Amino acid sequence: MAIKAFTAEWADQLRDEVNKSSVYKAAAKGWKWTVGLVVEAEPDKHFPEARGLVMDLFDGEARDIKVGAAADAQKCDFVITAPYSRWKQVAKLELDATKGMLQGKLKLKGDLPTIVRYTKASQELTMCTTRFQTEWPDES
Amino acid sequence: MEERHLVAYASKEPSAFAEMLGGLIEANVRAHPDKRKDFDALIARVGIWVTDIDEGVTLVFDAGRLTVYNGLEPRRTITIRAEAETVMSLSNLKIGILGLPVYYDEVGRGVASKLVLGRLRIDGLLPNIATLNRVTRIFSVH
Repeated sequence: MAIKAFTAEWADQLRDEVNKSSVYKAAAKGWKWTVGLVVEAEPDKHFPEARGLVMDLFDGEARDIKVGAAADAQKCDFVITAPYSRWKQVAKLELDATKGMLQGKLKLKGDLPTIVRYTKASQELTMCTTRFQTEWPDES
Repeated sequence: MEERHLVAYASKEPSAFAEMLGGLIEANVRAHPDKRKDFDALIARVGIWVTDIDEGVTLVFDAGRLTVYNGLEPRRTITIRAEAETVMSLSNLKIGILGLPVYYDEVGRGVASKLVLGRLRIDGLLPNIATLNRVTRIFSVH
């Protein structure tokens, strides 16, 4: 059954997928920073209010992923910001997150050398979003 | 007193790629005295073209200063052309003994195979191997 994007249930499912991934576990060994994803509102795409995902990731494990206000996500050590439709493209593998950051389609805030060191882990995080069905507000 | 900026941008509106590379190099150089030594000694014009996003930059190193240009500027010492993922792999190369990039681990083998297969092209490589190694050391996050 598809889960509505960027809801508490979706975040729980993502956390479970991350914790099932041996690739993520190996690639994110040593990671100890929080990651905030800011999903900017796009009312015309039935996503009327910005939301924030706060990801408590530690040493290859997703300890918690919560959905809340964008301001909560902005307090994390690393913050990636993009409009709803860009995140949808990333989750559907239509936009590679690395390319998106190099093109400025996804805006990154945080220590660059650290995030570059964990490129493989961030790619696997993206892959985890594809391993369960998502219901997109502009498609339902 | 805050240290002067090591990196400047030629354009008033640097591309996201220019800002990312400039920011990465500045953070590396500030955090590692050995990279700072390389940075202070390097004089070179290095082009990087990302083939799958059709964007590039020119990094003009001038003995302790770096100016980042949007796009490819003329008179480059070295020009690296590769896909985004490979460019990120270059910054993940580990540095081994004698300050040489490590090409025998997983990341290094990936970069070397892309070079052999022509998916990573480095114009000006042969006469400038020492410069490329120095750029790689500055660029590497390890």
